[in-house]
Amino acid sequence: MTTSPVHTPDLPRPAPALAPGDFRARTIPAIQDAAYLASLKKVTQYYVVTAFLALFIGVLIGPLQAFNYAGINVYDNPILKALLKSYYQGLSLHGVLNALVFTQFFISGWLLYLPTRDMGAKINMKFAWGTYIMMTAGLLMAAVPLLLNKATLLYTFYPPMEGHWLFYVGATIMVAASLLVALQVIVTWIGWKKANPGKVTPLVTFMTVCTWMMWLVAALGLVGEALFVLIPWVFGLRPGVDPLIAKTLFWWTGHAIVYFWLLPAYISWYAFLPKQAGGRIVSEPLARLTFVMFLLNSTPVGIHHQYADPNISNVWKLIHMFLTFLVAIPSLLTAFSIAGALEDAARARGGRGAVGWIFKLPWGDPSVTGQILAMISFIGGGAGGIITASYAFSPVIHNTAWIPGHFHITVGTAVTLSFMAISFWLVPHLTGKRLAAPKLALSSVWLWFAGMMFFAVGMHWEGLLGIPRRALISATALPIYKEGSMHSQIPMALTGISGVILLVGGLMYFYVLFATLLSPRVDDGEVTTPLPYSDVISPAGSDLTRASTLVRTTEPLLALWVVALALVLLMYGPVVLRLIANASLVPGCDFFSVGAGGCR
Amino acid sequence: MAPRIQRLDHHTMEKYENIWFGIAVVMSVLLAVAVFASFLSGTIPRIEDEGGGGHHLEGVKNGRINSRNFAGTPFATPGLVDNKDGTYSAFVVARAFAFDPPVLKVPAGKPVTFYLTSADVLHGYYVEKTNVNATVVPGQVASFTTTFRSPGPLNIVCDEYCGVGHHNMLNKIIVEAPQP
Ligand SMILES: [Cu+2]
Repeated sequence: MTTSPVHTPDLPRPAPALAPGDFRARTIPAIQDAAYLASLKKVTQYYVVTAFLALFIGVLIGPLQAFNYAGINVYDNPILKALLKSYYQGLSLHGVLNALVFTQFFISGWLLYLPTRDMGAKINMKFAWGTYIMMTAGLLMAAVPLLLNKATLLYTFYPPMEGHWLFYVGATIMVAASLLVALQVIVTWIGWKKANPGKVTPLVTFMTVCTWMMWLVAALGLVGEALFVLIPWVFGLRPGVDPLIAKTLFWWTGHAIVYFWLLPAYISWYAFLPKQAGGRIVSEPLARLTFVMFLLNSTPVGIHHQYADPNISNVWKLIHMFLTFLVAIPSLLTAFSIAGALEDAARARGGRGAVGWIFKLPWGDPSVTGQILAMISFIGGGAGGIITASYAFSPVIHNTAWIPGHFHITVGTAVTLSFMAISFWLVPHLTGKRLAAPKLALSSVWLWFAGMMFFAVGMHWEGLLGIPRRALISATALPIYKEGSMHSQIPMALTGISGVILLVGGLMYFYVLFATLLSPRVDDGEVTTPLPYSDVISPAGSDLTRASTLVRTTEPLLALWVVALALVLLMYGPVVLRLIANASLVPGCDFFSVGAGGCR
Repeated sequence: MAPRIQRLDHHTMEKYENIWFGIAVVMSVLLAVAVFASFLSGTIPRIEDEGGGGHHLEGVKNGRINSRNFAGTPFATPGLVDNKDGTYSAFVVARAFAFDPPVLKVPAGKPVTFYLTSADVLHGYYVEKTNVNATVVPGQVASFTTTFRSPGPLNIVCDEYCGVGHHNMLNKIIVEAPQP
């Protein structure tokens, strides 16, 4: 437990709560042990590079999906057929690699490195490397059946569609490794608290610990699904599986996971982007409040993915909907803070006018530009998310092309483009290599943004017309999507064009990344590309007893974590217990490699 | 003397912060109220929970059914049933890769209560141009009531991935004008 605010007797003249130094960018404790620092940077680099390798393969498969939604089936091409057995195998790889593997590896590296540096901590490097090796081993295990068309389950792997056991075991090991990273960071932070009694946790560490704690609550659903439902079932220890229990546990994690992807981008937007743009963090206390709201409110919302499911109480569906709307609040606060920080930056650079300042932002910097474009896409993505989460509108677009349209401008742009933009300074920082072709880097983020805008318009539109997601709509037996009354030509064209733009932008990005990685080490990253800590307009201060109420209330993260856990048990417990009491087991089926008739 | 650049200060920001926070909270609550109103007014064909999921049907308990054997249940003979009181029941079985019955004829302007179940994996029951959209789960009965207003054919699209033939799982509802 963290220290509780100590009651101090009234002093005649209270010392000022904030010191001048609190307004200046944090100076992180120096790490003297060069070998340790090199090893810490190396493991981070391994995480980040593995992440981008997964994204590279995933991005190459992306246009095939976009062409399908342009009404063009490329999966019958004989060369492609040799690699991918079906559209659904391609889609499974695309989804798993981009949404699950890329995010998890990048975040594990990013959110291990940042707090360690922020606290100047000495972590156990054997443990850190162990989790990396474990995560990679899990990935490789899951990859084998995926590549052999033995786990063409899409990234939701809803039973009773049944894949090879290696997929479930590998994926579980991969997720378990991320939980170990979370524990290592939280334990390191607890050590810091012990060594620094009465001190306010520095912002970057605070946001990171919050994110990892949220993930520990969120992941419980998936861990429960894997250990108690899927793995016993695929090994034949149970006579069947209850698809609804599995789906409910999946979405316990499945919605909160989007905040697990988003918050690491927010950390960069809050803590580092202001410096990169030439401005200051608006308010540290507000940033803390935002992250605590995410810790408490991210998980008990998952049933908004199940409005269409039978036998789940409508009361719980509405409660989860209301809680989902409440998670919009910390995102709106973030929009305020970041816009404020950017405006501060632009005005410091001579920006004028109500909106004219926008043009004074450093648009020539690919890292800044990429992150700003990521935020712009999230304005649409966030608004669309609130619409999508409403029970009134959901039935119109549930499982239509609207949904991939939505998440490509949230996770596919707000998160992915932020991570790409972060890599423009993170890779040089970690490796001491210089960013290759910065102009190409700048073009790549613009193309990614433009491509995703085309994709989003095309897919949202197709969804409103009633075209389902995750279907080979370009090769249906009945031509209901391309012909007839749907008038889908324009959105289909937009989607097709987006695939080409994204492929070009993606290839440009990966050229920059690989050229940077393969170039010789020329600098000391600590000197030439230090962590971009920012000055602060409203700091939290460093002394807990003199800090504001908001800072003191948000500081005891372990207690807040227990509240988050209690909240999710309260909001999910009754639903899951009822499902278990009424469990209805059904046999597994393989309809992706065997086809109809592939049931046990 | 040139004017100094006016930078944002703590007090201004705090004031705007509070206003913005208030707007965000009010907006979230209003959204929830709006949806709650449309829920109560019945504009959404809401999916019933186990209390309403066909608990009165033969072979269905708490909305659950044996997915391996529909004998003795209304799902043994899927199709439309006239309840003779102005309402109708439609029983639909989904299995890879078609719905049974393949063409469901329903009367326009009359409430139809649907009962859906799957014989194998998850499927989705999405009727184009409507807000009928339900997950069809093996071992479970999904139930909802809706009224089709205008006569004509409508495509039924399976919108939950169900295997290699998923995209071909397309059937029809024909809404028939009331007989004079
Ligand atoms: Cu289907």
